[in-house]
Amino acid sequence: MNTFFVSLLPVLLGLVLAPLLLGVIHRTKAVFAGRHGSPLLQAYSDLAKLLRKGAVYSRTTTWVFRAAPVIGLASVVSVMVLLPITGNSAPLSFVGDLIVFIYVLGLMRFFTVVAALDTGSSFEGMGASREVHFSALAEPAIVVGLVALASATGFLSLSGIFSAMSPTTWVVAGPALALVLAALFIVFLAENSRIPIDDPNTHLELTMIHEVMILDYSGPDLALVLYAAALKLWVLGALIVNVALSPLGLNGIRGVGLFVAGMLVLAVIVGCVESMMARSSFLKVPRLLVTAIALSGIAFMLIVRFTA
Amino acid sequence: MTLLQDTLLVALILTSFGMLVSGRLGAYIRMGALQGVMIGLLPLVVGRATPTLHVVFVAAAMIGLKGLVFPYLLFRALRESDTKREMNPFVGHVPSVFFGILALLGSFWMDARLGFPIHSSAALVIPVAFTTIMIGLFLIVTRRTALSQVIGFLVLENGIYAFGLAIVYEVPILLELGVLMDVFVAVFVMGIAIYHINREFDHIDIDRLNTLRG
Amino acid sequence: MNFGWLLPILILVPGLLGVACLFLRSARAVLRLCAIGTLGVAAIAGAVTLHVFRFVPLFAGRSWFMLDALSAYHLAVMMMVFSISALYGVIYFRDEVARGTFTDKQARRYGGLWFGSLAAMVLVLVSNNLGIMWVGIEATTLLTAFLICIHPTAAALEAMWKYLLMCSVGVAVAFMGTLLIAASAQQTSLHGSDALLWTALRDAVHQLDPALLKAGFIFLVIGYGTKAGLAPMHNWLPDAHSQAPSPVSAVFSGFLLNAALYCILRFLPLVEAATGNTGWGRGILIALGLLSIVLAAMFILFQRDIKRLLAYSSVEHVGLIALGVGLGGFGAVAALFHMLSHSLAKTVSFASAGMLGQSYGTHDLRHFQGIVRRVPVWGTSLVIGLLVLIGIAPFSIFLSEFFILKAALSQRAYWTACLLLVGLCVVFISVLRSAIAMAWESDTGVQASHRFKLSHGLLVFIPLAVLLVLGVWMPESFVQILIRASELLGGTP
Repeated sequence: MNTFFVSLLPVLLGLVLAPLLLGVIHRTKAVFAGRHGSPLLQAYSDLAKLLRKGAVYSRTTTWVFRAAPVIGLASVVSVMVLLPITGNSAPLSFVGDLIVFIYVLGLMRFFTVVAALDTGSSFEGMGASREVHFSALAEPAIVVGLVALASATGFLSLSGIFSAMSPTTWVVAGPALALVLAALFIVFLAENSRIPIDDPNTHLELTMIHEVMILDYSGPDLALVLYAAALKLWVLGALIVNVALSPLGLNGIRGVGLFVAGMLVLAVIVGCVESMMARSSFLKVPRLLVTAIALSGIAFMLIVRFTA
Repeated sequence: MTLLQDTLLVALILTSFGMLVSGRLGAYIRMGALQGVMIGLLPLVVGRATPTLHVVFVAAAMIGLKGLVFPYLLFRALRESDTKREMNPFVGHVPSVFFGILALLGSFWMDARLGFPIHSSAALVIPVAFTTIMIGLFLIVTRRTALSQVIGFLVLENGIYAFGLAIVYEVPILLELGVLMDVFVAVFVMGIAIYHINREFDHIDIDRLNTLRG
Repeated sequence: MNFGWLLPILILVPGLLGVACLFLRSARAVLRLCAIGTLGVAAIAGAVTLHVFRFVPLFAGRSWFMLDALSAYHLAVMMMVFSISALYGVIYFRDEVARGTFTDKQARRYGGLWFGSLAAMVLVLVSNNLGIMWVGIEATTLLTAFLICIHPTAAALEAMWKYLLMCSVGVAVAFMGTLLIAASAQQTSLHGSDALLWTALRDAVHQLDPALLKAGFIFLVIGYGTKAGLAPMHNWLPDAHSQAPSPVSAVFSGFLLNAALYCILRFLPLVEAATGNTGWGRGILIALGLLSIVLAAMFILFQRDIKRLLAYSSVEHVGLIALGVGLGGFGAVAALFHMLSHSLAKTVSFASAGMLGQSYGTHDLRHFQGIVRRVPVWGTSLVIGLLVLIGIAPFSIFLSEFFILKAALSQRAYWTACLLLVGLCVVFISVLRSAIAMAWESDTGVQASHRFKLSHGLLVFIPLAVLLVLGVWMPESFVQILIRASELLGGTP
């Protein structure tokens, strides 16, 4: 019973702490702007408020629109089961689970996009088109990045990769790992619709991506969508923190503690990035994502040529 | 030592890629300067023994030239022109990056096939040099403004210098002199050339230099 | 007695003269110094060359400088081209000076660059160190680039930019080739900068790494080939030649191309010997040579600008020289002979075309009518020059082209011979058509606008007479010189 609880700890931690990251990001931005800002736990109250309300559905929508939030949440939660936390294996791990990891997240995106098209609104269709365009560029970056990690460590599962990464891996392939880290960070920003790719705070501009796709959701559905988005932030952030903390070689409860601290630091970094950068124009977003592909591609080639 | 060397070389590739992705001429110059400094540092890192005074001297000259003098001259040329961006390169920024990735892949492949007789500690230098050379040529061919072509030429030279460093470390003085002169020449002269072209047409878009044909 | 010390002097003198030009007051003085100075340098060069031909190669400066039969022969050709062009410069710029379009400041720059490029080309020829040779080529590129835009018009700037960019890349590629050559010598007993000495490499040629040597040779052919105007790297050439002032065009066409080709020729025997004389390196030269001839022929067919036509003709002739050297043996002798003939004929043709251009105010062939009547000296010399260049019978180019063709046939290279003939025929017909139109198509009422001047006549007709004499009778000693020079290219004559 005790070991079962310990192995589920990463999942529970994510489910509980994910909305906190949003709070940290907002607070960081508020500090930068010289405001007091909303409370750290604002995201929790928002979710609670939305869950209490009723949902409104457009007459043009079908079951796809209603299923999408549930499928999205289910996908992201099942992905969390595969996700290790610094020094501790995930509850579930098997050879090749990193492919599952990427494509179950892809399933979530697929349903978000289909649901957006289902509304029949050209506005949401535009958002869907952009989402697909950018994720088509973000996906190679994360795939190649993870494959690079896999070939650096010789494991094909996330738990295997992160348990095998040690200070010596960094000595052998340090620059390449740093490149992967940078690529993952760009993908992290893109996938979670953060500045400079997308702006999560604008709701009425023609330029947004994720927010425009979920414009028709209300009440509990919106709560599910927002909660799933927060979990996605957590999941992709966890990848970065895992890579970044791997040279310390920690495990057990100290690993978990440091991991949570790392996640909070990441949130602060995202807040800083959002405060300091402007959202780049749509024409330049592909350049950024292609840079991510290039970074992970370079890393992959370096690792294959010189460490394998 | 190799970790330091690898980091330097990876940073070198990154500056080349930065030029492929960037559209501002100012950024080109800055990244060219950064790359020049790294190229200057390279002989201190790649060396098999502790660097001699002569090597340190060459490195210092290289850094001074490529990191300070050229950027200064190029920025001056940039100020005098009214072109600040590479607006429509013949090949867009996104395909350019894919070209860069292919170039890197090709360089690794070529390096593995050709098998140069070099010390294994410098193994990464050759593919990086090839990539830099190819990206330099690519920039010269696909960019429209005279200034970015000059930068492309600098990148090309940096690549050749790194290549020379890896394969003929034993015959240094002459080659370094040659490279220094070559570089000096290239940018100095081309800088003046830009100045001329600039004054004559009020722009430095070489695409409009196309009256001579056949 | 060792005259090796003359070699550095040969570089130093033009260098100093170039500096001197910067301090002269008037344009006329600069032009006069150009002529006299060039003749002076030519005198020293002539003495050195004769010494080499009669006795042994000269060495100087720890063997970094060397003059053997091959480089001495090139030096002799070069000094002829420079002397004619310098004398012609005095005539060509006279009008411009009078009209004020050639200012004193421009003249000073012209003089400095003129002697500078002379010094750089001498450096290319006399250096035994392949690195220094490369420096020489680099220096010629830079100095001559500014000679193109003495008159900074839009077109001249465009030509200069193209020239500078393409040749800089070419020179950079050649540097990479030089690096690879040096790398191929690393497993031998050669140490330090000896790995770049041509004579040292030649003596240790069988210890060199053939793979690296081959790779290096490819880079060198592409790099120096760009500068030499071999197709398909020739794009800068017609622009630069047509936009430069005519004395400069003459030097470009008459010798700058040969200087770059000379560098390739230096590496050829090394590669051939190291790869066991399988003809690998020669094959490359043959292919590029043929490509140059055929491509140039196609461009000549539709050419309307006399200077561009002459420029493409240079591509063709450089291709012919490369082809002859590639065929080797007898072909190499013919190629060297061809080089001399082409340089002289091309210099005279560019000189005449430049004067006609000044007289007609254009370089468009369609406006050149009745040139023999209107500008007797220069018109006649241009027509004869063109006829020489396409290989009309009694002149020497006919002879050398015939020998190259014969070399190809005797090696059973029938396709090569066939392509060569097709290219030559196309050039022959298209140039002859324009030459006839220029010379005789009557533009009624044309009056001679230039008085006949003996000095002008001597300047152009002496070289043409030399070509005529060489076409019908070659002195035995001259043949010996050609054979000795071609022996250095490897193979047996």
